[in-house]
Amino acid sequence: MFFRIIPKREIPELVRGLASQFHVIGPVAKDGSFVYAPLSAPAELRLDYDTTLLPAKEWFFPSSETLMRFTVADNVVIDDSVDETKRVLFGLHPCDVNSLLLMDNVFLGDNPDPYYKARRDNTLIVGVSCMPNEHCFCNAWGTDETHWGFDIFLSDIGEDYYASIRSVMGAELVDRYVAGRPITDDDTAAFQRRTAEFKAAFTNDVDTSQLPVLLDAKFDSDIWEKLGEKCLACGACSMVCPTCYCFDVHDVLEADQLTGCRVRTWDSCQFKEFAEVAHGHNFRDTRASRVKYRYYHKQWGYLSKFERVLCVGCGRCTRACKAQINPPRVVRALQTGLVD
Amino acid sequence: MTTHLSAAPIVVNPYRPSPARITSIIDLTPMEKLFEFRLIGDAAREAFDFQAGQFVELSIFGVGEAPISISSAPSKQGFIELCVRNSGDVTGALHSKKCGDIVGLRGPFGRGFPFQEMKGHDILLVAGGLGIAPLKSLINHIHDDRHDFGKVTILYGSRTPADILFRAQFDMWRHRDDFDLILSVDQPDETWDGAVGLVTKLFDTIDVDPKGTYGAICGPPVMYKYVIAEMRKKAMDADHIYVSFERRMKCGIGKCGHCGVGHQYACIDGPVFNYWEAMNLQEAI
Ligand SMILES: Cc1cc2nc3c(=O)[nH]c(=O)nc-3n(C[C@H](O)[C@H](O)[C@H](O)COP(=O)(O)OP(=O)(O)OC[C@H]3O[C@@H](n4cnc5c(N)ncnc54)[C@H](O)[C@@H]3O)c2cc1C
Ligand code: SF4
Ligand code: SF4
Ligand code: FES
Repeated sequence: MFFRIIPKREIPELVRGLASQFHVIGPVAKDGSFVYAPLSAPAELRLDYDTTLLPAKEWFFPSSETLMRFTVADNVVIDDSVDETKRVLFGLHPCDVNSLLLMDNVFLGDNPDPYYKARRDNTLIVGVSCMPNEHCFCNAWGTDETHWGFDIFLSDIGEDYYASIRSVMGAELVDRYVAGRPITDDDTAAFQRRTAEFKAAFTNDVDTSQLPVLLDAKFDSDIWEKLGEKCLACGACSMVCPTCYCFDVHDVLEADQLTGCRVRTWDSCQFKEFAEVAHGHNFRDTRASRVKYRYYHKQWGYLSKFERVLCVGCGRCTRACKAQINPPRVVRALQTGLVD
Repeated sequence: MTTHLSAAPIVVNPYRPSPARITSIIDLTPMEKLFEFRLIGDAAREAFDFQAGQFVELSIFGVGEAPISISSAPSKQGFIELCVRNSGDVTGALHSKKCGDIVGLRGPFGRGFPFQEMKGHDILLVAGGLGIAPLKSLINHIHDDRHDFGKVTILYGSRTPADILFRAQFDMWRHRDDFDLILSVDQPDETWDGAVGLVTKLFDTIDVDPKGTYGAICGPPVMYKYVIAEMRKKAMDADHIYVSFERRMKCGIGKCGHCGVGHQYACIDGPVFNYWEAMNLQEAI
């Protein structure tokens, strides 16, 4: 990895430079919280944001997207082009950078998804360091650090950013748009101090020991009934989750009924019809079974395939859930056998 | 490095169905029809190489897609046969199509039956209702390589005599002594002189060589537990039994998440699972 010291005051210059070549998307303030949105001016970029309501997956896997346009009469695809807009996603925290790597396993592995791939290939990632808020628990999964999956990563060391540069394109852009300077040992010491402060600031203590074993051994535990009684089956946890990738597909006809679009939309395993098949059989009919499945898949199903859990500890579902169902609490229930 | 701003290589779109022409439609029952398709284009036909037990996504634009097991044998090249029950939007739309109409197919998807591994053994197939569709592919495939297999027994349960699928073909096989086919119905009518009751009752009438037999099961979700219990009573090994699962599916390629069964996905890890593996899948059976 290359390193560079980039003074904070040079960030607007970098953003302006990037904006001349790319659509720049970053965290901006909206209605008292933050969202990832296209920047209309560098000053809008809020690198001091704590979290965004929705994750960055929208820019790779939109909540609703057209897969193809077709004609009805002869059942032919007339357009299945992909989105190759050049973008920069500026200001992802480590959890969100890591969440994209988890998505990659699904969408870029066997049978790569061309829609996701095109957006991923055409989007640069600039990460930025953060401080944990009361809901963060990325440290539990080791997703509080990121060493790949970005082009540039900016670690806050006071007046400057300690920038890690991962890609050729990242290096070229830094060279072109900021003066900066090489790192010194003092800078690295500041980076280490800052990292230590960050690690010490977590307030959630999540005991992740032996989760796959517990998920199977306690599959019939009454904790799931108790959690299921609380769950509203609203699906908010999946929508706000940077690592939830399930989708639905449906066809929409144009007014003329001659052509139409095949559209995919985000879906949630918390919805009742999710695992229903023909003739009314539903493999996960109860809320308890669906809450359990969400955790079973994230903490074991995905792990069994990709050797990582499907959660980056961003705490978005903790904020979104009206029933206080969230990974720290569910994991506690698994460890203790009690829903607190 | 994760981002490459250079021109991305052209990727095949796994969501894009290939056009296929309906070349034959046979009414099997009031609910089920047997469709034969021919993919359009030599390249598409040559690329379509499948195993018994795999499925396709049938695509009718404007309506949607449905996963359907291939019921023809892999040895029958160039044609794809699907036995489809009219159960809703997509399957209903297919039922209203005529010979010569064009639909879309994607696939083949999933893991099928381990045909090579099954060679040299006796075979015991158990089907309930529409579950005969994927097993028919396997039966036809065995039929084409008949000398490679020992005794082949098929237990097939249906609701009523009128619901029995592929009856004409089974009668033909039965007369040739290639297969031991035992039918059973839940509700007999006056013409029925065969067995009555659940397909599990048929186990009393058969002999099984426990170490030399491979089993395969496909049917409604409730059936598996009972059939497996019967096979285990005959002392068959868990890892010589294969089950094919139906789950909701939206992609067929391990992405949409709908087909989750335990820690696996039925579309890529199945739909055919070894029972030894399936025992380790929560809520599978
Ligand atoms: C691996 C596999 C093999 C199959 N093989 C056959 C076969 O050989 N012949 C056959 O007739 N059927 C088969 N099915 C079942 C068939 O896929 C469903 O009946 C079909 O998807 C229903 O779609 P529809 O649009 O006609 O019904 P819809 O109008 O969409 O819905 C009717 C009912 O089907 C359920 N359903 C909707 N979409 C799906 C879906 N994608 N997967 C499963 N259930 C769904 C709904 O919950 C609803 O209750 C198979 C299913 C799987 C998973
Ligand atoms: S499960 Fe919750 S904490 Fe984990 S990544 Fe998803 S939204 Fe974030
Ligand atoms: S766990 Fe919470 S956010 Fe998720 S569906 Fe249930 S109530 Fe909604
Ligand atoms: S059908 Fe989409 S993941 Fe299996």
